Amino acid sequence: MTATNGQTTLSIRDLHVSVEDAEILRGVTLDIPAGEVHALMGPNGSGKSTLANALMGHPAYEITAGQVHFKGQDVLELETDERARLGMFLAFQYPAEIPGVRVASFLRLALNARRETEISVMEFRRLLMEKMQMLRMDPKFASRYLNEGFSGGEKKRNEILQLAVLEPELAILDETDSGLDIDALRIVADGVNRLRGSDLGVLVITHYQRLLNYIEPDRVHVLIDGRVVESGGKELAERLEAEGYERYGAAAASEDA
Amino acid sequence: MTSTTRDLITDLSTSHGEPGWLRERRAAAWHVYETTPAPTWSDEEWRRTDTSWVDWDGAAPAANGADPARLALPMEVSSASVLLRQRGSMVEVLYTSPEARDAGVTVVSLAAAADSDGDTVADRLGTDLAPPSAGKLQAMNAALWSGGAFVRVPEGAKLTAPIVIVIDAADQPIFPRTLVSTGAGSSADVLEWWRSSQAATPGLANGCVELFVGAGSKLSYTHVQAWGGHAGSFLTQYASVARDAELATTNVTLGGRFHKGAIAATLTGPGANVRLNGMAYLDGEQFADHHTLQDHRTTDAASDLLYVNVLDGSARSVYAGTIMVQPHAQRSNAYQQNRNLMLKRGPRADSIPRLEIMADDVRCTHGSTTSTIDPMHLYYLGSRGLGLDQARSLIVDGTFEPVLDRIPDATVRSAVRTAVRAKLHGTAAA
Ligand SMILES: Nc1ncnc2c1ncn2[C@@H]1O[C@H](COP(=O)(O)OP(=O)(O)OP(=O)(O)O)[C@@H](O)[C@H]1O
Ligand SMILES: [Mg+2]
Repeated sequence: MTATNGQTTLSIRDLHVSVEDAEILRGVTLDIPAGEVHALMGPNGSGKSTLANALMGHPAYEITAGQVHFKGQDVLELETDERARLGMFLAFQYPAEIPGVRVASFLRLALNARRETEISVMEFRRLLMEKMQMLRMDPKFASRYLNEGFSGGEKKRNEILQLAVLEPELAILDETDSGLDIDALRIVADGVNRLRGSDLGVLVITHYQRLLNYIEPDRVHVLIDGRVVESGGKELAERLEAEGYERYGAAAASEDA
Repeated sequence: MTSTTRDLITDLSTSHGEPGWLRERRAAAWHVYETTPAPTWSDEEWRRTDTSWVDWDGAAPAANGADPARLALPMEVSSASVLLRQRGSMVEVLYTSPEARDAGVTVVSLAAAADSDGDTVADRLGTDLAPPSAGKLQAMNAALWSGGAFVRVPEGAKLTAPIVIVIDAADQPIFPRTLVSTGAGSSADVLEWWRSSQAATPGLANGCVELFVGAGSKLSYTHVQAWGGHAGSFLTQYASVARDAELATTNVTLGGRFHKGAIAATLTGPGANVRLNGMAYLDGEQFADHHTLQDHRTTDAASDLLYVNVLDGSARSVYAGTIMVQPHAQRSNAYQQNRNLMLKRGPRADSIPRLEIMADDVRCTHGSTTSTIDPMHLYYLGSRGLGLDQARSLIVDGTFEPVLDRIPDATVRSAVRTAVRAKLHGTAAA
């Protein structure tokens, strides 16, 4: 927790990312200062998840140019787990299902990986139950296999549960709102808002204004075809909601990915 | 030379004071052994399994020689209801809980039971389930077994703690033999654990287990094979399951360089319910072959099988499972699944399912998957801060978890989990 207010925790410079030789991100530059919430919007296929996964070190995404720094460290030099232990967290658009691995045992290992001293089983149990209660999750999810057979909304809640337990310093939420019912949306937003004002930086990827009504963004960025084409205040999101992406031309083709 | 072996068997039986019928059975079994050809590649059952290392001509009663290594017990003695330990051929009962004593449970060496429970043993030992005629290995065991374990759970008795049988071997052949029978309406968990040190391992272990699950009773039987590095082992494990009885067997294969398990459950009465579970964690040059049989001989019975292999190094596994439904066995429900997870490119897993359905009103399904670790799973776990090794071992644990989940007794489950983790993390298994 060395970042001070106003100091940039995440800095992305001219990032180019390819998948299987196709260039998806074509020079993204973005700063997220500690404590700020930024929204990233854009049509299907514009590269939002690619950015999120490239930041986290997904093995299929190749960084061909550019830099990413987090808390002053060169992130691109780090393995995925090292990035996580540095404080980065991605709530996935499509979380993996891992049969046989129970939510509670996995999450305790994950928490211990971030801590200097191991949390006791009892203390962890208490923490987990408290967070599950906050997210109105049935305690029986703790002993279920990770995401296996979870409904779409349950998976999203489980991502937020992990966020709440692990308490990262940068949270990237990739369409966490889609699939969530109104109550869950409010609970998630409450959770994020509660952590706001501290050092937590947030990148919210969403298609909908609705979430941004609950989590008011400090900045909104529009990603089209692998480039940030416009950035502005929260009113930018409102305008996109009303007008769509047609004004950016190139995006007109992206009706549905 | 072979006739001297028969004399040796007879002399040993006499010197141990075994009853005449047992002496005769040993001699008869030896005759079957001598006249049964050794398995070859051309037998379907042995097509993928190399037994050329077995010294068939050298088979002889286990000598009472070297002392097996002193290994820590897999659990607190007092968390068992009875703990029987066999070291070489010597059997001792280390603990009997008040509960087990009050329930009238019998757990003694099979040699002692041939006297004390002579009628039951004579009636069931190597008669219906695993007679010498079943094959050369079964005949070998019937002639040469020593020590052994006999478990009888009387009608209506319900044990809350497991009966534990520990077999400790030194670097000599060993022929374990276990006979379990549960009376009507009783319930028990049995754990049998084969162990040796890493250095002194039996070149040949050939064990035979017969499980008689009485009407309306519940038996969970878990077998752990944890021999040291060079052991070669055979396990025959046959069960018959009566009306409304429930049986769950779990075979855990960890040790040795060679293991062959022949596992069968015969469902004899309506309402019988069987779960056959198995898990093997193999690395290096290890080889394990499991042949299973779900034999439905009655109407309205169910069997469900799950065998999971995790393979590292250049290990090899064979899983071959048959579901057999006899012509009159209507409304049978049988399920069979084999999953193999490869941790590297080197190992190989063969999976051979077989259905022999002779009735028409049945539900039978089988499935088999062989996969490697999904890099997306590693990425997901990595994104939560778990390093590669941690993520891999979590995934391996998770692969076994559905099998562990099917072990009903918590003490047994945790002992097995500990042994698997110990191997996974490279600390020598107990
Ligand atoms: N692993 C991959 N293999 C091949 N193509 C990929 C892969 N990942 C992404 N792409 C392609 O990259 C482009 C950007 O995908 P991305 O998932 O980043 O879009 P997105 O902005 O998150 O879209 P959505 O709003 O639908 O979630 C798409 O054309 C997609 O098909
Ligand atoms: Mg996306």
